[in-house]
Amino acid sequence: MSKLVRVLNVGRLEYDKCLKIQQHFLAQNLSQPDSNTLILVEHEPVYTIGLRKQTYPDEYLEKLKNLGAQVKKTDRGGLITFHGPGQLVAYPLLNLKNFKPSLRWYVSRLEETVIDLCQVNFDLKAYRMCSTGYTGVWCNDAKIAAIGIYAKRLVTYHGLSLNCDVDLKWFSNIVPCGITDKSVSSLSKIMNKKLGIKQIEPMLLNSFSRVFDCDLEIENEEQVQNLVNKLAG
Amino acid sequence: MSLIFRSNRLFTLGVQLAKSNLIPNKQFSISHRLAQLKFTNQHEWVKVNGNIGTIGITDYAQDKLGEVVYLELPEVGAEFEQSSQFATLESVKAVSECYIPVSGKVVEVNEPLKDNPSTVNSSPLEEGWLAKVELTNPAEIDKLMDQNQYEEFLKSDDH
Repeated sequence: MSKLVRVLNVGRLEYDKCLKIQQHFLAQNLSQPDSNTLILVEHEPVYTIGLRKQTYPDEYLEKLKNLGAQVKKTDRGGLITFHGPGQLVAYPLLNLKNFKPSLRWYVSRLEETVIDLCQVNFDLKAYRMCSTGYTGVWCNDAKIAAIGIYAKRLVTYHGLSLNCDVDLKWFSNIVPCGITDKSVSSLSKIMNKKLGIKQIEPMLLNSFSRVFDCDLEIENEEQVQNLVNKLAG
Repeated sequence: MSLIFRSNRLFTLGVQLAKSNLIPNKQFSISHRLAQLKFTNQHEWVKVNGNIGTIGITDYAQDKLGEVVYLELPEVGAEFEQSSQFATLESVKAVSECYIPVSGKVVEVNEPLKDNPSTVNSSPLEEGWLAKVELTNPAEIDKLMDQNQYEEFLKSDDH
């Protein structure tokens, strides 16, 4: 029997509100093992920091807030990154016991989802860089997708972010993911045409379903809105 | 109470081994028995020596995690109930929790590991130990898996 993942496209939603929704499904997955859910979201401008918070002094974070973005400390893996309009963020809340009980496998599948998307839709060669610290998906030596996750008893949360037509200037204020010698790009920049979230969403779902070998059940808009109001209102 | 518990074990063990003729030195066999290695189904191990348990993650766990780049170890003096989260490991872009195999009070953590977190990968059962605890409920050890049981567990579909 194929695994089923329920898809919730919450649209544009502020980081903290979406985190509440994630935490709800994380808890559900811990108590009811087959509650796999995939959240798709576009955040308001926010810089997020991972578990190694001590890397970033408070004065530095204040400066980022003055640029018009929120700054959030999280418990996910990875260092600092940016989320905002024009970037598709995907939070798979999966119980890895339904898939493969390996974080290393899971992170590589997230990378593969984006690599598959680029290949199938744009004939674009995106790739992973296997050395430590270079996780994510790259194209033409620039990073197009970032990954940072947390697993509680093999139930995942946080996830990946894919640059569609995000304003890349937001990234120039940070050292994204702690990588000093590479740049950040987007699908639009690489393909030299506007590729917005709405166009990329179905492609991501398609690739996700293929790479994770699962069926997707898309929740309708009304149900999603009710859920958002209930959990994050 | 723990002295009585230990001396019962010594007596039983001594009799068994004397009968088996396998290990003539009773002293060695007793310390061997006391320094036992046990495993949980969350892939942590505990090596018990007297009332101190040394804790880490198994080779299987480190392989499934990937290279550890950062870890958060508990404070010395912190107390934990069995199976609660006591440490956090970050492997490449993924943070996961470690659950304590036995209830106890932390008496030592592996400080050098903070500068060389990948030791958890290269030596998960030796130099990559995470913390040592003073056991608050030694009977918990008996319910954990021994090496053979753990290896069988890994072969099963449930891990």
